[in-house]
Amino acid sequence: MKKKLDFSAIARSKVTWAVVAEALILLVCLFVRPEFFSISYQPSTGMLYGNLIDIINRSSEITIIAMGMTLVIALGGTDLSVGALVAVSGAIALKFLRWDVTIYNTPGDYTVYSFALVLIVPLVVCILMGMFNGFLISKGEMQPIIATLILMVCGRGIAQIITNGKQFTTQYSPFRVIGQGSILYLPTPIIITAVVVAAVAIFVRKTAFGTFVESVGINRKASRLSGINAQRIIFIVFTLTGFLSGISGLIYSSRIMSNDSNNAGLNFEMDAILAVVIGGTSMTGGKFSLVGTVLGSIIIRTIVNLVYYFGIAAEATMAFKAIIIAVVIVLQSEPVRNYFAKRSSARREAVKGGAKA
Amino acid sequence: MPENNLLEMRQIEIQFPGVKALDKVDFTLRAGEIHSLLGENGAGKSTLIKCLTGVNRMDAGTITFMGNSIRPQSPQEAMGMGISTVYQEVNLCPNLTVAENIFVGRQPMKHGQINWKAITKRAQELMARFHQDIDVSRPLSYYSTAVQQMVAIARAVDVQAKILILDEPTSSLDDNEVQLLFDVMRDLKAEGMGIIFITHFLDQVFAISDRLTILRNGHLVGSYDIGDITKVELVTQMVGKDMDTIFNLKRASVAEDAPYMLNASHIGSPGQIEDISVAVKKGELIGFAGLLGSGRTETAEMLFGAHRATSGELEVDGKKAEIKKPYDALVKGIAFCPEDRKRDGIISDLSIRENIALAVQARKGFLHPLSSKEQNEMADKYIKALGIATPDAEKKIGELSGGNQQKVILARWMATDPKVLILDEPTRGIDIGAKAEIQRLMLEMCGEGVSVVFISSELDEIIRCSNRIIIMRDREKVAELNGDEATQEKILSIIAEGAKAAGGEAS
Repeated sequence: MKKKLDFSAIARSKVTWAVVAEALILLVCLFVRPEFFSISYQPSTGMLYGNLIDIINRSSEITIIAMGMTLVIALGGTDLSVGALVAVSGAIALKFLRWDVTIYNTPGDYTVYSFALVLIVPLVVCILMGMFNGFLISKGEMQPIIATLILMVCGRGIAQIITNGKQFTTQYSPFRVIGQGSILYLPTPIIITAVVVAAVAIFVRKTAFGTFVESVGINRKASRLSGINAQRIIFIVFTLTGFLSGISGLIYSSRIMSNDSNNAGLNFEMDAILAVVIGGTSMTGGKFSLVGTVLGSIIIRTIVNLVYYFGIAAEATMAFKAIIIAVVIVLQSEPVRNYFAKRSSARREAVKGGAKA
Repeated sequence: MPENNLLEMRQIEIQFPGVKALDKVDFTLRAGEIHSLLGENGAGKSTLIKCLTGVNRMDAGTITFMGNSIRPQSPQEAMGMGISTVYQEVNLCPNLTVAENIFVGRQPMKHGQINWKAITKRAQELMARFHQDIDVSRPLSYYSTAVQQMVAIARAVDVQAKILILDEPTSSLDDNEVQLLFDVMRDLKAEGMGIIFITHFLDQVFAISDRLTILRNGHLVGSYDIGDITKVELVTQMVGKDMDTIFNLKRASVAEDAPYMLNASHIGSPGQIEDISVAVKKGELIGFAGLLGSGRTETAEMLFGAHRATSGELEVDGKKAEIKKPYDALVKGIAFCPEDRKRDGIISDLSIRENIALAVQARKGFLHPLSSKEQNEMADKYIKALGIATPDAEKKIGELSGGNQQKVILARWMATDPKVLILDEPTRGIDIGAKAEIQRLMLEMCGEGVSVVFISSELDEIIRCSNRIIIMRDREKVAELNGDEATQEKILSIIAEGAKAAGGEAS
């Protein structure tokens, strides 16, 4: 006999409900303004345009960070420093592009130091900062939320120091490609995100790393007694999250072609945590879903775009976002999922009973 | 009902999923007596107490308290009736002062504000009653565990308690502190309070109690006046030997000249085990006997590196080995099934397959993953070999019964092909069939040349399976017997004599 789809298991999955939520939001858009979905090709830039493309494009920064955040949360922790690391990454990149405004006083299509340094140094510094978090949490046994609070608070200060409190701008075109260019008709951030998501997914699922993360997140002591080096797992996860924040920072600063120590990556930690939670990973740690997290990030961005597109007053944006997110979270809550799971299994029982009779 | 019966529990039954935790248990407490409640872990002592304090609901039975039938639904309700409990871990707030701890939640008020003066005064008086002349305005953490224990008792008694339940109150106290606690208990007894005393220290039972009640596997074994029972009888009753007839297993045969696989000499770490030597030959099964808290688990954890030994030397397979963490032990071929499998063994949300593959994978490192084919084969092999009852390998381990969980943990370690297998209470809390299977597996592995270290509280198991038996008491090795010459009586008398010696020192 062919195996039938188990609807009650599907109803019980949080990822299912993330898909349902996204579909509902888009359905509302379709109903109100069908042109929300139009996609057009712009020959001058060689890029596809449209709201759907833009949603995925603009969700890139959060999606990339949220890949690391998923693992952090699966371990039962949180990383609050990611937003500050975005600012640090941007500040360093711009520092190497302009070095000193008093000498290179007009922004133009040039870079003071080689482009390789512009890309590599920010990433290396973010990796080091991730390692700092990882060290405090694994060896120092600090609570993640406290340990990462340190860099959350002082990261933006470090970014200020790097640029002497100045805001640089640049017009260096290779740098522009990262956030505003296109590859294969698609905006570059989408491609970068796809590569990052694929790389992280392969790293955690094609090696045993993901299982170890889940194992440590569920029961750290039992994992240690099974021979898993829990400290190393924790260290790697926070280091990875630092690295991903660095990538995200490069994309962000390339979009604005500037550094902004105060606003770059502002509240990214909250959006990333939210994306992970909407994606179905529990804050208590354990099983995680990277696909769910990508969906969660896209849902968050869909809401923002929808708000802009429908011209809802900017002051109401936050409240509107909150309402939709509240609905999504309720849809995913244990009682609601169980309710639908029970209903679908009850219906199946009824169908079976009917077939017998 | 006799006049002085403060509390009568009749025919108490409690059913937990898959196991009857209490089966028709009777318990009587008189006013002005200290009554010890004894039994091994899982015997049902704490379930009985929780039933009295309203934590667990009973499925059948009656509780009569001071002539009235009661059925407490919550600890608060029980406390309101005058049934107070002091738990093993002092559950007070170390950062609050002594006085605050005593009165938290029921502060005396004056003009709608907390009357700090009255709190301090009353707390001082109360502590004086317990012979504790201390500054009650200091934080609780300033004082020793014993004083903290007194504060907990003071708090429990000050709510007009009629019954005081002390759950393992002496486990972290030294001899003088225990005497201090006993003085307080005698004072309270003289005031007419009924005290239920739970402990694993048998000498303390004989030093302080008037009567005792023994439970085993959820059944009442009996209640005795303290003069009517000897220590040996008591231990025999607690441990029981009703399983003898069910098994028919043969000990492993070990060649005289078999090499030592694990040889620990004088290993120890301060505050745990000070100095112990264990040597296990290839294919040999060594049993660890002794009461709970005698240092069996600590020894096992030290051999495996769960707690690092700071002194002594360790040899594995004839080579000097340094084991700092479980991973080191794993690489050297030592395996360890911990005592508390729920807390330290299973990864509840992962599947049986993932749980079985975990240790092998940990040894290989995450960069060298087992293919899903290898994992499935490994899981299927052990599900079949150990008779793990499950529809498939993808079921979450948390959803299995205790015995099957234990088999999965055993499979996790068997898959690593260990040279030395350390099993800490592998048969506790599982049904008799699974128990027999696990014993059979242990002996089979010995036959294949694995050395097994077997810790159990059930003496008949130890005697049946072990080539040699190490008897632990008070965190020291007190005797080592050959399997052939060991009898239950012999082991019990060694444990009891030890207890007698300790009693002599204390008084």
